[in-house]
Amino acid sequence: MQYTALSIALATVVNALVLSSIYILVALGFAFLLNILGILNFAHGAIYMAGGFICYKLTMGLGLNPWLGMVISVIIMGLFGLFLERYGFRKFYGNLNKTLIVCIAVITIFENTANLTEGLTVETVPSFAPGILKFGIVSLSLERLVTFLVGGVLLIWALWFMRKTKIGLQMQAVSQDIEGAALQGIHIHRIAGIACIIACSLAAIAGCFMGAYLNVNAFMGDNIMLKSCMLVILGGVGSIGGVFFAGLLIGTLDAVLPIYLSASVGQAIVLAIAIIILIWRPQGFFGRKEL
Amino acid sequence: MVVKNYKKNYEKDINMIEESTLSNRKSNKGKIAQLLPYLVLIIVIALIPLFTHSSYYLHILILTLIYIIVSVSFRFIAISGQFPLAHIVFMGIGGYTSGVLAIQLKWSPWLTMPLGALLAMAIGILIGFPFARLRALYYALVSFFFGVGMIQVITAFGRYTGGIGGLVGIPGIPGLISTNKVPYYYFILGVTIVCLLILYRFEHSRIGTNLKAIDQSHLVASSIGINEARYRVLALAIGCFFAGLAGAIYAHYNYVISPASFQMSQTLWIVMYVLIGGLGSFAGPIVGTIVLFLVPEFYSSLRTVVPFISAALMLAVVFLIPDGIVSLPGLLKLRLEAIRKRKREL
Repeated sequence: MQYTALSIALATVVNALVLSSIYILVALGFAFLLNILGILNFAHGAIYMAGGFICYKLTMGLGLNPWLGMVISVIIMGLFGLFLERYGFRKFYGNLNKTLIVCIAVITIFENTANLTEGLTVETVPSFAPGILKFGIVSLSLERLVTFLVGGVLLIWALWFMRKTKIGLQMQAVSQDIEGAALQGIHIHRIAGIACIIACSLAAIAGCFMGAYLNVNAFMGDNIMLKSCMLVILGGVGSIGGVFFAGLLIGTLDAVLPIYLSASVGQAIVLAIAIIILIWRPQGFFGRKEL
Repeated sequence: MVVKNYKKNYEKDINMIEESTLSNRKSNKGKIAQLLPYLVLIIVIALIPLFTHSSYYLHILILTLIYIIVSVSFRFIAISGQFPLAHIVFMGIGGYTSGVLAIQLKWSPWLTMPLGALLAMAIGILIGFPFARLRALYYALVSFFFGVGMIQVITAFGRYTGGIGGLVGIPGIPGLISTNKVPYYYFILGVTIVCLLILYRFEHSRIGTNLKAIDQSHLVASSIGINEARYRVLALAIGCFFAGLAGAIYAHYNYVISPASFQMSQTLWIVMYVLIGGLGSFAGPIVGTIVLFLVPEFYSSLRTVVPFISAALMLAVVFLIPDGIVSLPGLLKLRLEAIRKRKREL
């Protein structure tokens, strides 16, 4: 009895960490675009889905190694991010309505392409690290450990990139004041392109891992889109640290609540918590005072 | 650069004043002559059932009319500067309320449909006051969360609402049930026209002017004595009422409603109808619904290709016609005039 309780508790902790790291990976790219360019990239979920799907196609269709498939899919989605910035968003920095139209068009194209090629069948990306780790009575899927580790490393890299490198500092400058940054000689479009590449690559990585952790389907992006909106807004626009905090909170709630409640009640509770926090503190946990 | 900006704004202001005085004069002169094209249009739409007996065509026309109510009421909220990404959910609330009351209590749909609309309005008012603190992006996203959460709540009450499978066996509207869809068509056409007239009157009354003032600058609006929170809630209440009414009619027309019809992506499509048609004009959502909903449904045999065409159309509109399809004639006119001017100069 005690044994099962312990293993359930441990599995919950692992699930919470894995879910949190995937949520944060997706939300981080979303937050990059929102902070730096003022773009609410609603297509982020579709990009995440496309990343997982390309990886699935490469591994199952062409028989590549999953890691190689992931690298190729990340490169493709990164290039797509560059394309999206150049030909989609460049005219519309900070314009909610126009970017929304572009994003819905992208979502429509991606979801219908995925739907046409695969139909509504549920597929999974082959495991990146098959096997189970055993520590005494505790057993742990290697897959989840790898997901968590890669997610953690990428997140630390993103923080380091934002805080320490020249391009990261330029990004911060652009996010504070786009015209001021341009006057200081920062090449805004290059920064925007790099931000888009990073955002889409992170989403694609998360898509590949989630494809192996759960499954890939044409509409898997919708849920993660909601989650990353929640993380970014709860953490506070303009704060990367806030995304981490909110990600751990939402990931834990998502892992714990389904144990006790049905899925829809659990999700309704998470959303209600998010709404109450935002009405109480509209700028989020660590957001700037304005807006 | 700054000077140029000021000049631009100043001319725009003068144009605005002149336009408003001109339109005032025009509206006092020949009201009947102005209304004539609309009357002709309504008569043509009303005559459609005489020419087609296909119930499929009538079905998609009815759905178009319902979505026109929803998208026009969405625009009514949007002119106040609020951008709620949960509008279809109010349609769902109206539909579910009406359907559940009609099934569980056996009340007549004629009674339950207004009740559904009223409940949607009440929920709109309830969320309106706390949400009045939020603006722009925050408002959009918090209402987005509210919408998704509300659908989950509806799904969770599976005992009454049928859960994820949907609510089945909703009674039809007595007096309109017949072998074909013609009575429903005329009923819904009438409701749509009445709704559009009411929303038009609201927009062109003092309320609508105040809402537009809040959209332009909430600080200036509140400094001249417009109660910002109250007007924003009022806009939400009116918009939600009509969305709920449309949902209730949809429920009793379709006999079946399911949470899938009120999902997030559906709200985004309503937003698309409004934005593609043109947010700045009353006719915008109507045109948008016709272009993005009615036309693709007519070509439903090409179901695999149609979404891509819609997406391409959306991209074309956002890049080429920034103010929506409604502004296309004006844009073409300006272009033609410029070409003519250039020719004359040559």
